[in-house]
Amino acid sequence: MKTARESKLISCHLCHTLSRLPQDTGYTVTKGDKKIKCSCCQSILHSRYPHSISRTWALLIAAFILYIPANTLPIMSVNYWGEIQSDTILSGVMHLLHEGMWPLALLIFIASIFIPIFKLATLFLLLISIQLKLVYRPKDRTTLYRITEFIGRWSMVDVFVIALLVALVQFGSTASIRPELGALSFASVVILTMFAAHTFDPRLIWDVINTNEK
Amino acid sequence: MNRNRLHHNQKNKSSNVRACPDCDLLQSIPLLLPNEFAYCLRCNATLLKNQKNSLNRSLSFAVTGLILFFIANLFPLITLKALSLTQNGTVLSTAWVLFEMDRPLLSLVMLFTTFIFPALTLLGTVYVLLQIKTNRINDYTAPLFRFLHHTHIWGMLEILMLAILVTVVKLGDLAEVIFGVSLYAFCLLILAMTLLDYYLNPHDIWNSIRQYNRESK
Repeated sequence: MKTARESKLISCHLCHTLSRLPQDTGYTVTKGDKKIKCSCCQSILHSRYPHSISRTWALLIAAFILYIPANTLPIMSVNYWGEIQSDTILSGVMHLLHEGMWPLALLIFIASIFIPIFKLATLFLLLISIQLKLVYRPKDRTTLYRITEFIGRWSMVDVFVIALLVALVQFGSTASIRPELGALSFASVVILTMFAAHTFDPRLIWDVINTNEK
Repeated sequence: MNRNRLHHNQKNKSSNVRACPDCDLLQSIPLLLPNEFAYCLRCNATLLKNQKNSLNRSLSFAVTGLILFFIANLFPLITLKALSLTQNGTVLSTAWVLFEMDRPLLSLVMLFTTFIFPALTLLGTVYVLLQIKTNRINDYTAPLFRFLHHTHIWGMLEILMLAILVTVVKLGDLAEVIFGVSLYAFCLLILAMTLLDYYLNPHDIWNSIRQYNRESK
């Protein structure tokens, strides 16, 4: 058994058409100055995503930085009979817990606190494991990547809840809700980690394994 | 049609060799029976699926989805009633209120993830599937389907559904929540889009495009 790269083939990431690899530069395959396109779907072909590791690092670090305001700044402020109360993500979860809505509290906790931390931590560990050229349990690491890619978008739940609350609770001076900067930071964290998971190439996990076996 | 494809597959052995998208291992995939899936030997990624009647089924769910999408955006999803005041909420009004409150970026995120991308996914899928069914593939089919593939994860209607549930429970104590017609349409829309995802087999579509490319050369 061989990988596509070892057989001098390149598989299109979209339509999975195999093309011959003319000159492997590691990144985008070029013939002269022109980028080579897939014969079927016209996507630009590359054996591995170009600059996958550095791009993922950049997006991940940006997400780490924005994660701080996302948790320290209030995500929304509630004006109830002139009394203004601001909530951060964590205090929102605590409020729900005190009001006895623990299923909701659990859901918001998983979506807004657990998933982002899990995602940042897994991508961080996966990147380090690739840079250290580890051969430890590649199958599990690939599964971990797939989970990360799948659950990431569900963190948007909290952002949507805030948007809906803001749109619905508009009763002038008696009760109104305003979105605050924390919500925007949190949405950016989710979007940045989604991009980070997208630019990460799981084939890099397996590249070391082939050479070790031979 | 079915016999044609079988014949084509047997003749052209190389079309059954695939590299795993997750670990790059080359492997040849045996001819799949309907409802069979092929997984990578090394990392367990799904390599190929064979769904019976995938084109017709996905087309019907895409058309259903399009109609439901229209209804879901026409009427209010939820109406809130408190102190003799009522407040309607639709997907678009949510984005608009955020814009009015000086949160243009959040408003754009809402607009794209819950309106523009799902609408494009449904419209584009219907268009591509109709082109294939009526044999009218042109040079723009491939770029269009590529675009749909890339924007697919950014349509977040099922997440909005969960958010609506959370909002309803949260507001249940404070005010009277009335479910609109659109909410029922919205629930069915999520179902239609999930089934569309399940039945749509990109491999079939790329095969048709490949055939078009071969013929047009």
